[in-house]
This record gives sequence, C-alpha cells and structure tokens, in this order.
Amino acid sequence: MTGISAWRRLDRAQPLIAGVLALVGLMTIYSAGADWGRQLAWVGLGAITYAAAAWFDYRRLLALAPGIYAGMLLALVAVHLVGHSALGARRWLSIAGFPLEPSELSKLLLVVVMAALLSRAETLSWRRLGIALLMAGPAAALIVTQPDLGTTIVFTAIFAGMLFVAGARPAQILTLAAAAAVTLPLLPVLLHGYQRARLAIFLDPNSDPLGAGYNLLQARIAVGAGGFFGQGWLHGLQGQLGFVPERATDFVFAIFAEQFGLFGSLVLIALFGALLIRVLGSAAMAPDRFGRLLAAGVFVMLLVQVMENIGMNVGLLPIAGIPLPLISYGGSATITTMAALGLVQSVVRRRAWVAHQPPPAAFEGGLRPI
Amino acid sequence: MIEPGRGIVFAGASSRPRWSLRLVAAGLVAVVALSALAIKLAGLQVTEGSSLAALAHENSVHRIVLEADRGIIYDRHGVALVQNSPAWNLELIPAALPFTTGARQAEIAELAALSGVSPVTLTIAVDEADPYGSLQVGPNLTEAQELALAERLPGLPGVSIARHSVRTYLYPTILGHVVGYVGPIDSTELKMLRKLGYQPDEVVGKVGVEAGLERQLRGVDGWADVVVDARGRAVRTVATHSPAAGDSVYLTIDLQLQLATASAVEAGLVRDHKKAGASVVVDPRTGEVLALVSIPGYDTNLFTHGISRAGYDGLINDPQRPLLNRAIAGQYAPGSTFKMVTAVAGLQEGKITPATLLNCPSYLTYGGWVYHNWAGYSLGYMNVAKALAVSCDTFFYQVAERVGDVTLARYARAFGFGTGKSLEMPGVEAGLVPDRIWKAISCGVPDLNSDACRWTVGDTVTFGIGQSALLTTPLNQAVYAAALANGGRVLQPTLVHEVRDSAGRVIQKLKTAVMSTVPASAFNMAAVREGMREEINRPYNMNYWFRAAGVPADGGGKTGTAQWGGSGLNLPTHAWFVFFAPFAQPDVALSIFVERGELSEVEAAPIGVQIMKFFNAHRSAIQGP
Repeated sequence: MTGISAWRRLDRAQPLIAGVLALVGLMTIYSAGADWGRQLAWVGLGAITYAAAAWFDYRRLLALAPGIYAGMLLALVAVHLVGHSALGARRWLSIAGFPLEPSELSKLLLVVVMAALLSRAETLSWRRLGIALLMAGPAAALIVTQPDLGTTIVFTAIFAGMLFVAGARPAQILTLAAAAAVTLPLLPVLLHGYQRARLAIFLDPNSDPLGAGYNLLQARIAVGAGGFFGQGWLHGLQGQLGFVPERATDFVFAIFAEQFGLFGSLVLIALFGALLIRVLGSAAMAPDRFGRLLAAGVFVMLLVQVMENIGMNVGLLPIAGIPLPLISYGGSATITTMAALGLVQSVVRRRAWVAHQPPPAAFEGGLRPI
Repeated sequence: MIEPGRGIVFAGASSRPRWSLRLVAAGLVAVVALSALAIKLAGLQVTEGSSLAALAHENSVHRIVLEADRGIIYDRHGVALVQNSPAWNLELIPAALPFTTGARQAEIAELAALSGVSPVTLTIAVDEADPYGSLQVGPNLTEAQELALAERLPGLPGVSIARHSVRTYLYPTILGHVVGYVGPIDSTELKMLRKLGYQPDEVVGKVGVEAGLERQLRGVDGWADVVVDARGRAVRTVATHSPAAGDSVYLTIDLQLQLATASAVEAGLVRDHKKAGASVVVDPRTGEVLALVSIPGYDTNLFTHGISRAGYDGLINDPQRPLLNRAIAGQYAPGSTFKMVTAVAGLQEGKITPATLLNCPSYLTYGGWVYHNWAGYSLGYMNVAKALAVSCDTFFYQVAERVGDVTLARYARAFGFGTGKSLEMPGVEAGLVPDRIWKAISCGVPDLNSDACRWTVGDTVTFGIGQSALLTTPLNQAVYAAALANGGRVLQPTLVHEVRDSAGRVIQKLKTAVMSTVPASAFNMAAVREGMREEINRPYNMNYWFRAAGVPADGGGKTGTAQWGGSGLNLPTHAWFVFFAPFAQPDVALSIFVERGELSEVEAAPIGVQIMKFFNAHRSAIQGP
C-alpha cells in the first residue's frame, strides 16, 4: 500500500451515508420517546466496531469460519436453554447484564460462513450446494423454533442471494425452488399461532382492527397521515400519542413517515439505495471471491431488512419482527449492521487500486489546462 | 486517462470494478424493490393521505361533554331541597368495540353480566346507537358494580365509566309534587327544545318545578376537544367551551310549614280512613304558595336513581293515583265553599241585602224537581251571614235563582273559578264554570231541546251551591280564599320567591300579579266575610276544633261537602275547607281537600285547624327572611 494513503483507499461515501442514517435513526427514536441516549451509546459502540472491522483483514475470516460457525450454533442453542422471553418468543441472552440478541448477530455470521464456504471454488458444485444446505439448516431450525419469523426470512434471503451471486446454475436454482415449494405448505404447521394470525391479517387487515390487525392499521394510518411533507419532527398524532405500537423498533418507519412525509421517506429510501449501491460496488471491486461474496452477502442482508421492514410498515408485506437497519432502536442490530459495513470497508480497502478517479494528471503534474 | 507512475499499485490487477451479470441482477432487484416501496408510499401518503390523516385525527381527538351543574332548588329561607350527587354510569362507544363478531359478542355478553342488562337488549341498543357517540348502558352503577367494572376495564375496549351528577331529592315524597323530578330528554321534547341547544343525552325537568323552571335551572353543558393517547388518557386539550351552571331557585315554599301541612293532612286522612287529599296554603297579600301538598305522593328519587319496571307499573296502576298532583290537577266540585260567590253576586246585584231574611226550608221545587237542603227540617228565616254559617242550601237556591246563571258565572270567573292559574309547573288545571253554551256542547245528546242539553233552573240553583258541573282545584280554592281574605283581589299564585344565578346575584324577584278583582263593594264583601267568621265560631260545631287545638277562631272559613258522580240522593262526596286568618288583616289563606270525605266539618276542617296551629306558632319564622 505504499504510495497511496490509507485514507484515499477508503470508500468515504459509505460511512457518511451510514452516519446520516444513524443520525436519522436517533432523531426518530427521540421523537418516539424511546431511550435515545442508550441508542447513541450503541451507535458509538457500533462506530468502534466499524473501525475495528475495517482495519481487520477480512481474509483472516476464511480460517476462522469453522469456529465462527460453531460459535453461532452455540449462541443460538444457548438462547433456547437460558434465554429470556419477550412477547412470547425466546430471543434474548444476558451477557454481563446486557441483553443480547444472537439472532441479529447470526445474520452477519451466516454471511461470513457462507462466503467462506462458497469461495473455495470458482463454481458452485452440487456437492457444495448440499454442504451449504446442511450447514445453514441447523442454524435456521434453531431460529425458526425460537420462534423468529423475521430472522428466518433474512436467513433464507441471504442463503438464496449468496448462492445466486456465487453462480448457482439454473438447474440448481430450480431444484431449490422446488424444494421450497414442497416445504412451504408445511409452514402453517411450523408457524406459531400469532405468526399465522399475522399472515391472515396481512391478507385482510380490517378483519380485526383492534386486535392483531391493530398494529398494521395504525402503522398505515401513521404513514398516510404524514402526507407529502409530514407533520414535522416531534409532531404527528399517531406516533406521539402511542397509537403506533413498537414505535422505536419494528414500526419506527411509520413514525418517521408521519413526521417527515413522502418527501422524507423518499430521501430515506434514496439513502438506503445509495448505501446498497456502495456495498454492491464494493462487491464488484473486491480483490478476491471471498471478499466479493462477503460484500454481496451484506448487500442481501441489508436489502431484505430494508425491504421487509418498510414493506410491512406500509402494508406491502406481512408483519415480521425485522429492524430497519441503523434506524430501529436496538444494540444487537445496530452493532451488527455497522460491523457488516466495516467488513465491506475492509474488503474495499484491499481492492486493486487504480487511479481511475480524479484528480486528473494535469492537475497533479502541474500542467494546467489553459 | 491514467497518470503514469501514480495509479497502478498492484501489478496485474484489473483497473475497473468487475460487474458480473449476477451482481448487476442483484442491483436491479434492489432498484425494483425500493421503487415498489416508493410507489406504495406515494399511494399511501398522497392519494390516501388526507383520509388516513382524518383517521389519525379521529383516533386521537375526542369531544367530551363538560356537564354543567343544574341549579339548586331552595325553600324560601334558603334550605336546599335537592342536591346534585355523583353517580357512575357504564358508557361505551360502539365504534371502539372489537370488529370481529366473536370478540364483540363476548364483550357485550360480559358487559351485560356486569351491568345487569339483558344481552339482547344491549345488542340492539349498540346496533341502533350512533357509532361514535357514547351510549349509556343500564341504570346507575352500584358501588360494587363500579368497582368490579373498573377492574375489568382494561380488557373491555370502548368501555368507560362516566361520572356524572344525578339529582337527589332531599324531601322526595313530601315535596315530590312541588319539586317534581328530572329525566332523560325524550324524542318529542328534543324536537321542541333542540332550538335551545338541547342534546340527545341531556336531562330535563319532567314534572313540578323541575319542569316549570327548566329554563332557569338548566345548566348549559360545555365541551372540550381533548387529544387522547392510545390508552385513552387525555394528553392535552385543544379547545374548550366552559359549562354554564344553572340558576338557583328560591321557592316561596316554607319547608317547615310544608312538613306540618303534609303531616296534618296525612293524620287527618288516617284518622278518617281516607286515602287521598290535598292542601294549598298561600299568602293572601302576595299570592305566594307557602305549602302545597297532595297525598298520596311518591318517591321522586326513584325517577332519577333508577326505578324497576314493576315499581313503575305499580305507581301507574295504583288506584289512588299517587302520580296525580291533586293540588293543581285534581278537579272537583267545590260544593258549599262556593256559596260566598253566590252571596257576593246576590248582594252586589241588589237581589238581597245583608239584612234580607229568606226562609231555609228542607227542600224547594224547581221545574218539577225537588231540591233538598242538607237538613231534613226547616231552619227558619235567616240573613246571608247566618245562611253561610249554617250553610243553608235552600237559601242559596233562592239567591241563585234571583241572580241568574249568566251573572253567577260572571262572578264565579271573577273569583278565579274556571280560569287557569299559571303556577310554575306543568299540569295546572283550570277547573270549570258551566254555562248554557258549555252544556249544549257537552251534553252528548242529539236533541238540543232535551234537559241534558238545555240549561234548566235546576242547573242554576245547584250552581248556586257549588254543584252542577262546577269544578275547581285545591289551588284555585286557596286563591279564592285569599281573594275573600284580601277584599276581592284574585292573585296569580306563584312558587318563585327569587332566582339567583350561579354567582349568587338575584336575577328575578317575587312578582305579585292580580289576575282579576271581584266587582263587589267593601260593604258587601264584609257581609260575606262576617258569615265566614260566624261559621267557625258557632258553638258545639266547628268552633270545637279550634278550642280543642287551642287555636283562636280568628278568621273566616267555610266547609263544603260536594257531591259527585251524577245526580240524585246518597251520592259520594268530597270534603272541602277554605279558611283565612286573622280576620282583620289576613296573612294566610288555605284550602283543604279530602277525597271521598263525607263530613267536611269533621274531616276537612280539623286539618286546617292543625295547619293554623303550626302557622300561628311559627308565624314570624315563616314570614321572616
């Protein structure tokens, strides 16, 4: 890396966008009346994690992958054995008094493990596909039985998305799709009562407006009440008066949209779009297949969370407990997201450097165009 | 353009990002997904924006009624007769009930069990109610019900316990016919009162002063638009309109005299095994009603605190008709108490003088019909004062025949018979003064020449002794006694001593109005009054009651035992007594009515004496401030 400062190698837009998103998140959490100071601490901790991950050479993860996989399974098993319950699901571990949600971290760990597995060869063989299924299966099973519908969706998306980027052939994709088509009818059996109710309510939100459909309806009302320019920060009846449930976590977008309107929502979506493009661009610039798959995995992980969270807030997708990256309140999710972005930065730092960017030579060489 | 020697660090590395087809496809998926979100958002926030914003407003801004205090009713000395006491009601907003049929029915069933209303009734009420209005469920809650409900409230969306004030009558039976009661406004009342700003859930006076002084007593409810949070707690108030408390009314009634009058009537009825009676005491100088009693009465609190169906049916179907205010709405023939009118007419029209002596035989014959005196023997010749004192019917047959029915009716009306008194309560009846036209209209026989339709001399003479079709009320009788006391001024009776607004300022004072003046000279009036004094001073007769009670017989009175229910002998009777005192400068006049009383001298008069005993003992307290 001689000759080029480390600073110039960085993707500077990516942390800038992430920072703006985290700031928007803090503002929205403050307006929702949640503990914004604590979230600020999480963001700070996330920034340190980001820097550490960016400085860390991602290629060392290749060797650590088996250990990471084992640790992930261990944490998920621990949740089943000694975890705390909230809202009817056992999702929390207490580490030195801090509540930790291993399923959040496991999203990133799955990306790392999958990238390590799939980067061993340039093409995807049937055998490797089978290994990937065998590896992801137990983790997914542990999450499904927590139960955690949201993380299951994210797991499935990461798994499918990374296989796609890794070069899965049409025959392999069709086989997986067929397998999914066979398992899907089993879903109602596997789903818990409340999860089935969520699906039913998504199909007809008016069926129980004060019961289970309440969340969906109130979130939709809040988003709609935002109008074009929004009610303004710290204004808005739905959010300020508590009609929207889970307003700092799952339904934080509804609160945001009520206050900042369509204009603010489109800016937020554009910010997410820009972040996603930066991450995907990092995948394209990665110096090796592992880095490429790592960045692509983070891309899928972020995309599916943004899509599902905003989608359920506006009534486009069924309700599943998925946080909006960098916006929703929560330590595990915030730190996981920032660690993931840090890893992408680590990948991009080590890309093949070509000075295809400005400044032009004439400037640097002293030959000023007249 | 690549700057030599600067850009390429790793030899052999490619110079561009390697965008594989798969990565581009992933990027396209992201673009499509985010675009779908943007389109959905635009639809939600722009197309549906205003309707969803209205829903948000409806969610959180609610108009609540700020209940105004109804004015308090006091007696003439400021003793409260009613109070506004707190009560709790179950209220529900139909729109806030669960939408799913199962949950909705379960909640309605639980509410029915908790409030004691039948589930079917409640379901119908909920279906018919304004979905966004608040529906009151069942009667006022008992304390136990209130506690049980408060505990269950979090599990019952759309249900609340509303505290409001309810009218409590402090003398519910004794003053029931005076004060009356309030009740929820009904649809016909609402139609009439809507212009005055009445709302469908308001309470209005139904009976008595509560109804008659509704305009003064009514407090105008205010409202407040409050922002409530998701748990229904008020967060802040957007706009308010303060309630305006009603005016307080100070009645002319003296509570102690009312109690004494009620117990005197009650005791008299019990002694003589009678069921119903009434009494009105007025101040003959001003027309103020000092006491107004109708027995049997009823507990007015039943109507404000909740009455069972059976209890209500019992009141309606009671043969003694406790809901009938006999003092103002019971119409009966005045009988012999009317003879002062006939006497004044005869004197004033020159048909007799105070010294004219007429015979008092046991009967007289008019138009082939025999008309009896109460005594089966002749009482001899007598002047008008004596005739009043012994209540000779045949004497007044002759006077009435000389005066004639048309003139007699004129005098009767001048004394206030048959003319409505506008007392401050609904249901005041006027009574009836019969005449030829009335008889022709009301006879109900097609042949207008029959005796049923044609006025006969018999009608005239029985009119002269307060029979015929003549009708009066205890209130009218008291006003009549007052007119005899004050020299012929028929006063408008009133129950309002003064009205004060909620700040205590007097906004309406006692008004004394003269309805009519009897066209009689003081000389002639004095002759009649002399007869009334003689009646109560005859030894071994009415005077006995005064002496027995230790009340000076200083005043004028007249008893009457009026027949009713047709014509002939041995008809049922009502007993009357009218009285004023003291004789020289009367300051009290009263009427006593005993339904189905047989002997007015022993059934009605002693009640008046008992009232006078109390009045004489407390005269200064009653008349004081």
